[in-house]
Parts: sequence; C-alpha cells; structure tokens
Amino acid sequence: MSPPVDPASVKLAIETGGVAFRNPVLTASGTFGYGREFEGLTDLRALGGLVTKGISPAPRFGNATPRICETASGMLNSIGLENVGVEGFERDKLPYLRQCGTRVLVNFFGATFDEYIACGAGLDRLDGVDALEMNVSCPNIKAGGIEFGTDPRVLADLVRACRAVIKKPLWIKLTPNTSDIVALARACADGGADGLSIINTITGMAIDARTRRPKIATIFGGLSGPAIKPIALRMVFQVHRAGVPLPISGIGGIQDATDAIEFFLAGATTVQVGTQSFVDPDASGHIVRDLQARLAADGISDVRELIGALRVS
Amino acid sequence: MRYFQARVAENRALGGGYFVLRLSGCASLAAAKPGQFVMIRGAWGRDPLLPRAFSLMAVAPSAGTADILAKTVGRGTALLERALPGAEVDVLGPLGTSFPEPDAESVDLLVAGGVGLPPLYMQGELAASRKLAARSEMLYGGRGTKDLVLLSEMKSMGLALHLTTEDGTVGTKGLITRALEERLNAHRGKRVRVMGCGPNAMLWAAARIAREREVPCFISLEENMACGIGVCLGCAIPARSRPYRYVCSNGPVFDAADVLDVKPTSPAPPPPSECPA
Repeated sequence: MSPPVDPASVKLAIETGGVAFRNPVLTASGTFGYGREFEGLTDLRALGGLVTKGISPAPRFGNATPRICETASGMLNSIGLENVGVEGFERDKLPYLRQCGTRVLVNFFGATFDEYIACGAGLDRLDGVDALEMNVSCPNIKAGGIEFGTDPRVLADLVRACRAVIKKPLWIKLTPNTSDIVALARACADGGADGLSIINTITGMAIDARTRRPKIATIFGGLSGPAIKPIALRMVFQVHRAGVPLPISGIGGIQDATDAIEFFLAGATTVQVGTQSFVDPDASGHIVRDLQARLAADGISDVRELIGALRVS
Repeated sequence: MRYFQARVAENRALGGGYFVLRLSGCASLAAAKPGQFVMIRGAWGRDPLLPRAFSLMAVAPSAGTADILAKTVGRGTALLERALPGAEVDVLGPLGTSFPEPDAESVDLLVAGGVGLPPLYMQGELAASRKLAARSEMLYGGRGTKDLVLLSEMKSMGLALHLTTEDGTVGTKGLITRALEERLNAHRGKRVRVMGCGPNAMLWAAARIAREREVPCFISLEENMACGIGVCLGCAIPARSRPYRYVCSNGPVFDAADVLDVKPTSPAPPPPSECPA
C-alpha cells in the first residue's frame, strides 16, 4: 500500500468515450430527470456528468399504473419511457442543462430504425449536448417485439445507421437480458460506437401473494438497485477482458465510493449512479467526495490507476 | 425542500399498529403546510432500499420537531415502529401540494379514513391556531375502535368530531361517506369545502358525493413512489387535464375534479410498442 497523498492532489479527471469529464461519476438515465429536479439537493457542478431521461422523437405518456415496486435490495419499474420528446427537450429542458455546469449526455431511443435515426439526428444538432447514449432495450416491432439490443447483427446495423447521422460521441447502453454480452459489445464497436454503458435494468417481476396480482401493471419490469450489482460487475469485466475496443461506463447498484471502485477495477472508465439517487438525492456528490478521500488515503494519485486493475491469477 | 438528517425524539405507540414518530432537527420543515409530505428512511443499509412517504401531522417551528403518524403495514413501517429515540433518519421535504387554507367564509369538512388522518389533523390544528376551529369538522372513520386515534387531542383543538366505525364500536356504525352526506345536508346553503385523505375507495366515494352536490373537494392521494420529487415517475395518476398527474409533484393534494378514479383491473401484457423500462 502506498503512503497517503493530499486529497487535493488526487486526479479524478478523465477523457473517455469522446468526452472530457472532471471526474468519472455520472448519473444514470431515468433516475435523474432532466437535472433541474435535483437543484438545491446536489451540486451539479461537482458531478462528472449527467445522463438525461430517455428521449424519443415525440413525447410519450408512459405505462399504466402501478409502475414501480420495491424488491429485495432493489426496485422494479415499468414507467414506459415517458418523456417530453425531442422538441420538448430542446425547448423546455436544454436551456437549463446548457448552464448547469456539468457534462450532459442525452439518452435516446425509438420504436423503429427510422425513429432511432431521426431522434439521434435531432439531438445531434443541439448545442449543449456533449454526447448521446442510445437505449437499445426497446422492442423492435417489425421483428416481433424482440429487443433491438439482443441480436448482435441487428444491433450493429442500428448503431451503424445512427452513427452515420450522429457526429457527437455515441454511447450504447446495453441490455443485460442476453446470454452473450461480449457479442453485443463487439457489435457496437463494429457499428462505430464511441462507448458502452453496461448495464440497463434486468427484466423481472414481483407478485402480491395476497391479491394474486403482479405488483406492477405491465407484469414485467426493469430491476435495478444493489440487487443487480454482481451481474453488472460480471458483464463489465467480461467485456473489458474480451478486449472490446470501447470504454465502458459501469452501471448497476452503485451506492458508494467502494462500489464505484469495484467497477473501475472491473474495467469501467466511468460509473453511473442510478437508483441510489432516489435513496439519497446527493448520492453522486457523496461518491465523488468519498472517492477522492478514499484514493488519497490509499495513496492513489490518479483514478485511472484503478481502471481494469483487478487482480486475477 | 431540503434533504437532511434528523433524529427520532420520541416514538409513541397508539395501539393497533399506529404510532407517532416525533423527529428532531427538522427546522427545515417549519413552513410546511397541511397536506405536504416527507420522504423518510432510517439507517437501513441496503434493504429495504427506498425511502417511505409520509404526510406531516404536525410541525413545531420553535422546537424544530416534526410529527408523522404511521401504521405498520410493511418492512419500512415495521422498522420505523421499532425506532428508538436518538435513531438517525434521513428526511427529504417538505414536498408536494397542500390543502386550501382555512378561512372565515367556509365550512371545511375534513374526511379522514384510518391512517389518512395526519394532513387533516394538521389542517384542523391550523384552523384552531387561527381561531377557525368552529368552522372545521372532523369526519373520522375506521374499521373499529383501534383505527381511531388522537381523539382527545382533536377535541382539545375545538374541532367537532363525527366518528364512524364499520363494526360500530365507536361513533356511528357504517361508512364515513354516510356521515359526509349528513353533514353536507346540515350545512346546505353554506359555502362548504370537502377535504379528504384515506383509502382510495373512501376518497372516490367522497369525491362523487361532493361532485353531485357541486361542493369543492380536495383529496390527498397515495401511490408507490421512489423519489418524491418528480423524477422516477412511478406515482402517476390518470387525470383529466393531461394523461397523468404525479402524486409527488402535482399532488398529493388534488382538486378531485382533475384526477380520475381508475379501478385496478387485471393487468394485461404491454402492447409491443411499450418499452418495459
């Protein structure tokens, strides 16, 4: 163990996935609204960046209720990707984000190839957006409802088609609902992506034994929170170890600086804090501060020393 | 609205699983209004994960305390029921909308069902502090005697109490909606407002009665929520003014004319255009 260093001298800044971040702690899409909701609760200027709620070409009003329920060390959600649409985002949300003092990544999705391309192109022209993160966990209606992001061939085609119209850095948020995460990661590299976000929520369900009903209206929903961290770590490490030539933003149950460090060791260059922002609206701020103190105490002068530094014999 | 750490100052069991938690270090809640709520979580580690939403029952600005009334129904409330004085609690609040303020021109019928009492208790206390207690009536119902708590406190505020229980052990036997109809009859011709909090079935019945008599009605709704600040979008409620309103940020107190009574039905699988997350 190295001797402690001055916390102020610890370097947290990192340039990765086409974006220069002041630190590697971001907030995950769908858990941080459009940023403004957290004004006064956390200092956005202290974050590495924020990822907005997923944007679709036109506004969406979301799924029937109930939409969420708590599970063991986690939660299930089926919000239905409710959002303001590209125009609403530009008009109502972007002016605040332009001056919020942190990097802004906009998550987006579509129901068809054409919608993905239109949405990506529409967001790509906006000043104040540093990068785009593509959600590929949506059902492909033309392919019988199979998620775009579960077939490597379809995924590579989708990434390539969006890449052709997107000049900004393009990250792909992978679904964990697959038996081969590495094949999906390679497909994104083949399609010309700049980065990967690993993982999105895991499909699950919860039942109320008393009423004999599913606990959420759509029966199935996305599981998040600390319950999924071991799965997320495994997938980040698999993609890193396979040598897929894209930086990874690690997501899944990150609650504190130790969790973040585990993701760096597994190969992530940044982390995204999701469900924990519901538990503690200043969770990301806490993690940045604790990460700096923790690295200083351990004598680590640059967070980049941790990336992929997992010891496996 | 602030996120801060408070401590349990007192935890008073009321029987029947009901308890009043008094929190110290809550100066940030001093300006909270009746109907507003807080998100509360103890030092629970990683499970249960999410904070719980509670309507405020009282705030004492000089002492910096806030009271919530809860009933143990699940893991979070069970942990709070056992919380000892001195225990640390994370608090986010005050959140959401409030009931219309008491005024000298209106008669306010406060309709509380079971654990829906707190915001109306606070409304009654506000009316009493403005010497308007005589213009507020508390209609309070539950299954049995254990569901009716803090009666002497409300009597000392000077509120007229109309109690109902389903088993007839206290007050009039039957549902609170019958008491509401009787009080509306008694005040016919006056400017009356109905304010309710309690089980959904009770609220929708109260809203229907008020609508039939063209009486303004405000109801405090409950729905699963993770964040309390309009981010998770879990607490959606069907509405007239737009497809959904949110209990945390548009409510919890709504004009009953705007929100829709959509009874739970057997959930159907989502259409293929719906993304599950």
